[in-house]
Amino acid sequence: MSHGHAAAPALRMGIPIPNSKLAMWLFLGTEIMFFTAFIGTYIVMRMGSPGWPTDVNVTHIRIWAGGLNTFVLIFSSFMVVVAHDAVLQQQFARARMAMWITLWCGVLFLGIKSYEYYGKIDYDILPGHIPESDRQAMDKLVSNLDGKVNYQLSALFPQIEKREDQLAALDEQIAAGKDVERGTAVKEFYSAYLNIKEHVRNQVSFAVPFAELDKLRLDEHANPPKLELGEFPSHHGGGEHHAAADPHSVVGEFQRLEQDPKIGPLLGGYKIERIRPILYGNLFASNYFLMTGFHALHVIIGLILFAVALCKNPLKSSDAVFVENIGLYWHFVDLVWIFLFPLIYIV
Amino acid sequence: MSHDHHESHLATYFSVFMVLCVCTVISVVADVVHFAPHNVVVVVVMAVAVTKALCVMMYFMHLKFERAWKYLLLAPTIILASAIPFALASDVGMHYYTTDVPQIHEYERQAARGADGHDTPAPGGEHH
Repeated sequence: MSHGHAAAPALRMGIPIPNSKLAMWLFLGTEIMFFTAFIGTYIVMRMGSPGWPTDVNVTHIRIWAGGLNTFVLIFSSFMVVVAHDAVLQQQFARARMAMWITLWCGVLFLGIKSYEYYGKIDYDILPGHIPESDRQAMDKLVSNLDGKVNYQLSALFPQIEKREDQLAALDEQIAAGKDVERGTAVKEFYSAYLNIKEHVRNQVSFAVPFAELDKLRLDEHANPPKLELGEFPSHHGGGEHHAAADPHSVVGEFQRLEQDPKIGPLLGGYKIERIRPILYGNLFASNYFLMTGFHALHVIIGLILFAVALCKNPLKSSDAVFVENIGLYWHFVDLVWIFLFPLIYIV
Repeated sequence: MSHDHHESHLATYFSVFMVLCVCTVISVVADVVHFAPHNVVVVVVMAVAVTKALCVMMYFMHLKFERAWKYLLLAPTIILASAIPFALASDVGMHYYTTDVPQIHEYERQAARGADGHDTPAPGGEHH
């Protein structure tokens, strides 16, 4: 190309950075679009949903967890840049140490995030699981209790499949005097479940006893008291049953069952908070898990990259570009979290 | 690009790290201490987030010292990235037509119940 003319400057192709760095930047460009899709939809959905849950006692969002995670990621970004600087200065031991610290910071971030996820799962704040009105909350309780009844009956009679056959077998077992205590407890649990189910189906308050429900349903002019969901006990920084719910409400009836010595243990520690209705709760949960889940996935990929870098033993000057590229990726992960933190925890 | 002795930029990096920490503390304090109405807090917190992002991008990702190619890469990215929020904003974000979703009915029901001071029982009969 430039053999004859010494005066003409050589033509330069492309951008004056290594190919791998350009490739990483192009990839980061696509990742920016990837995350702005989720963050953009979150912002837009939230703008269009009057009544979006903001109370942290309902959404179980802890600012201290978010703030701590932010600090951990910022510190790890700083460590990455220290590592790159050390490689350029040929101080390879320091570079390795800095990369180890970054890796452990990433693991710490995932640990705090999994603690937060555990809290969400414990309160059943999952997409598609959240009731958004009082009636949906009552239906959810009936459905969950049905599951628990199934569990108890199947534990007693694993071979029998149909509910009615299991109940018949249960009656036989009690009449025969076998395992009477457990049998009667399960039988009472089933009756309590039926009681709740029928009251919810007819939307009649628990003040009206179970036996009268059929009669009331057939009577056109009856006007029984309506079933209320009830007040949920405050479970954050207060007494356990701060203000007991109206005993004729759904929550009140559940609390009565919790305290019943025979039925209580069969409930398996079920938290009534799980049926608290949250308006737009499912949209909230979907957005939350998409944004933080994909971010956590990117953190995991970053940790794998750091593990690959740390496997290069000994580290050489020629690894400077590799370290820089991993650093770019990790800074991007930090960048996404810098935006996720205020959007989820503060706004 | 092979310097035998590369200048250490550790001091700069440390200052940027300190700035980032301060910004994080400001965000957390803005949330915990109620010093202004919510909208002002949102603006402050998002401004802080943008500042932090710029610090990370300019210094840690070294963009301040790179050349014009950074605009070549980032401009189409930003344009395409803004496409989704802008496309959805008019349909999902703002409601210039009447929305008929269960959540709106439930929201109005709760507002009515709140206004009455829990005197009116919640009307039943919502279809689901």
